[in-house]
Amino acid sequence: MSLEGLDFTILGPAFIAGLLVLSTHVPLGQEVLKRGIIFIDLAIAQIAGLGVIAAYRFGWDIHGWEVQVAALGTALIAAVVLNTLEKHYQAYQEALIGAIFVLAATASILILAGNPHGGESLKELLIGQILWITWEQLLPTALVTGFILLVLLSCRQNLQHLGFYLLFAVAITSSVQLVGVYLVFASLIIPALGSIGSKKTLLSAYLIGGAGYGLGLISSSLLDLPSGAMIVWCIAIIALLSSLTTKRKRQLV
Amino acid sequence: MFDQLKKRHWLTVLLLTLCSSTAYAQLNIFACEPEWAALTRSLAGDGAKVYSATTDQQDPHHIQARPSLIAKVRRADLLVCTGAELEVGWLPLLLRKSGNAKIQAGQAGYFMATDHVSLLEKPAVLDRSLGDIHAAGNPHVHLDPYRMQQVAVALVSSLVKVDPSKEKDYQENLRIFTLEWRNAISQWEKQAEGLRGKRIVVNHNNWVYLERWLGLERLAVLESRPGIAPSSSHLGEILTQLSANPADMILLAGYQNDKPALWLSKKTGLRVVSLPFSPSNEENLIHWFNRLLQPLLSADS
Repeated sequence: MSLEGLDFTILGPAFIAGLLVLSTHVPLGQEVLKRGIIFIDLAIAQIAGLGVIAAYRFGWDIHGWEVQVAALGTALIAAVVLNTLEKHYQAYQEALIGAIFVLAATASILILAGNPHGGESLKELLIGQILWITWEQLLPTALVTGFILLVLLSCRQNLQHLGFYLLFAVAITSSVQLVGVYLVFASLIIPALGSIGSKKTLLSAYLIGGAGYGLGLISSSLLDLPSGAMIVWCIAIIALLSSLTTKRKRQLV
Repeated sequence: MFDQLKKRHWLTVLLLTLCSSTAYAQLNIFACEPEWAALTRSLAGDGAKVYSATTDQQDPHHIQARPSLIAKVRRADLLVCTGAELEVGWLPLLLRKSGNAKIQAGQAGYFMATDHVSLLEKPAVLDRSLGDIHAAGNPHVHLDPYRMQQVAVALVSSLVKVDPSKEKDYQENLRIFTLEWRNAISQWEKQAEGLRGKRIVVNHNNWVYLERWLGLERLAVLESRPGIAPSSSHLGEILTQLSANPADMILLAGYQNDKPALWLSKKTGLRVVSLPFSPSNEENLIHWFNRLLQPLLSADS
């Protein structure tokens, strides 16, 4: 047990970042589940990473804005490609997404064959370190989140395939760099899964996610364990408990 | 029940913060690696609370963020790290997140060991295509006892700057440390005489200071570029090189992946010698150096 990490100024920015990520990823995740393209976020995150590496290879500064442009650009291209594939080969969509993921991952290994500094950045991009987040970093994220929510709310009905993929690419590119791919995947899929069958799916998915982040951060301080992985487990446990209780309620009715 | 437990924890936290603000006297020191924690413990004495961010089983290039780590940096009066880009992947982030003004770069509480010694293998041309090279030079200086002595002297002047009231104690600790360390060095050098000229193959190029001190000759590095797993063609080159010019042993740091070294050992029959790259928890430097040299000496006999 370690109590010294239980400090709002340490955990606060991480928790708020988690809530920002959840606010867009929960509705996107429900859409992903509906369409049955679960691994799309892994593929898009990996491709955004590939864009960063390629930019780095061109000699751009890894923390500069050009890299953001490169990451977003490649993720958007991937979104267009995935959309075209869905139109023509819908039956194999999930398999194609898997193939794209593995191609993007290995392409970055090949590009990085001579560059371990880039390897560190890639690892950072994929694992992410939610605890390092500071308040200043949250402002651009809040802006991107606001934009995505606005688009989602205003044209959820007429959001076509391409629109969905593009929005998804923007959301993932920003959230992956903030909290890492494991947490992004968990925030997308697990609350959406846990809320299936409840009356207000969106609300209960938000509650599952928020409770998971809160409990995960607190228990990672108490147990002195890495926060990202702890949060993933807490979201999963809460989602499981919640889906068990909704099932029992339905049986009682 | 959990709610109750949580409430009680918050209460404890509150009490602890109150206590810690009143009982301020102890120096809090945050070391990045266990070797600097060990050195600081012997120089700062009992009055200091020394914490090491990494253990001897960890690669100091990488570290996972935990809440307690940030809390410890936030309270630190002095930061003791290697520098020369060894911790570049995490220390700047940790410092920024801590918001602790005392230990930011340039302040009295910011101590980088490599700022106080000369570094080997400083690249003449900085070319990213050469891999994970450190622009400032090879940072693994703690394996040279003479440089360790220089770091000790510089560290004591930093301790004095941070806490001038105990200057006498720190100087006395340094005197004792220097005496014991000098004796130990001459003993080690006598023991290790037979190692001079031994030819070694290393997994990662992190033994250069030890090689220079003991007079070991490095024939090859398994990683084709620092930080990158060896490619098959590079391993093939090493094999042909070794068959023409055989080595005596393969050196490996305890925390590293031993697969490439074991592969080479199988092909060549060379012995793999795994050495503790850093002291273990609470171990003092002399004890650790003894443990470091032991496998080398017994591999030689």
